[in-house]
Amino acid sequence: MWFEDIPLGNKITLGSYAFTEENIIAFAKKYDPQPFHVDKDAAARSPYGGLIASGWHTSSVWMKLVIAYRHGRIAKGEEATQANFVSPGVREIRWLKPVRPGMIVTYTNEPFAKLDWPSLPQYGLIEGKNEAFDQDGTLVYSFINRVLIARKPIP
Amino acid sequence: MTDLLHFEDFRVGQIFALGTHTLAPEEMIDYAREFDPQPQHLDPAAAKDLLGGLAASGWYLCALAMRMMVDGLFIRSTSLGAPGVDEVQWRRPVRAGDSLRVDGEVLDMRDSSRPERGFVRFRFSMWRPKENGEDERVMMFTCSVMFGRRNLSAGAA
Repeated sequence: MWFEDIPLGNKITLGSYAFTEENIIAFAKKYDPQPFHVDKDAAARSPYGGLIASGWHTSSVWMKLVIAYRHGRIAKGEEATQANFVSPGVREIRWLKPVRPGMIVTYTNEPFAKLDWPSLPQYGLIEGKNEAFDQDGTLVYSFINRVLIARKPIP
Repeated sequence: MTDLLHFEDFRVGQIFALGTHTLAPEEMIDYAREFDPQPQHLDPAAAKDLLGGLAASGWYLCALAMRMMVDGLFIRSTSLGAPGVDEVQWRRPVRAGDSLRVDGEVLDMRDSSRPERGFVRFRFSMWRPKENGEDERVMMFTCSVMFGRRNLSAGAA
């Protein structure tokens, strides 16, 4: 898939992830060991009233689901294997609601802008709106991803 | 617990040194296997074509910086986490063996709608030495972190 082939305004569901006490604590012990992410009792006494996932855990799961989604499409022949996507960064990460054990979070992606990237003219930049909802449909997380994708070679 | 850093203890322009870390291949691959299994993060041969060598997942760099921020600052503070990040820039590929340094600069401070809290906005940067001895910024993000206030949390109000 080339830069030119990506449709704008096409919202896709990337997949879902079940946050558990176990995976919340395991992530946070490695990467974000603040009491309200790793210690049930301390979390219960905190303003959050219980254990909540590290925001970087919620963010990392998005990446995991993007890769799983692409692998699924490649396996079904809907997308060719190609050079992998490279990102110069992301914007406007919003951890809107605490993500707690027992929540099943579904992530969506919608490309909304195509931009030139002058330092790498053989690539174009896609910006996408990303949202994640809990099982009750409440928006818990959003951000804008930015990814460089190769332009179709000129024959 | 009066030695914890509260909102009032921060000043615009302060820079907190948050430690150094030499990146081991195992830790980047460990993260990539679970969260970002792309060849440039897992497979040295594929990575060579794309980025000139195995590169850490950008999200791993955020997680690593977070760990250094917690160990170097938040664990001795009244931090209540951050509601978001304004912008993350992954400016350079970061590779195994790189010697990384993280710091956080206080950009501004503001009240919260809750009187017992305040927001401190930081720019967190990850640096790597260049051959000429200067450091280059390989990754940065800006975010507002919530802290408890000393006057109210100590019951002085």
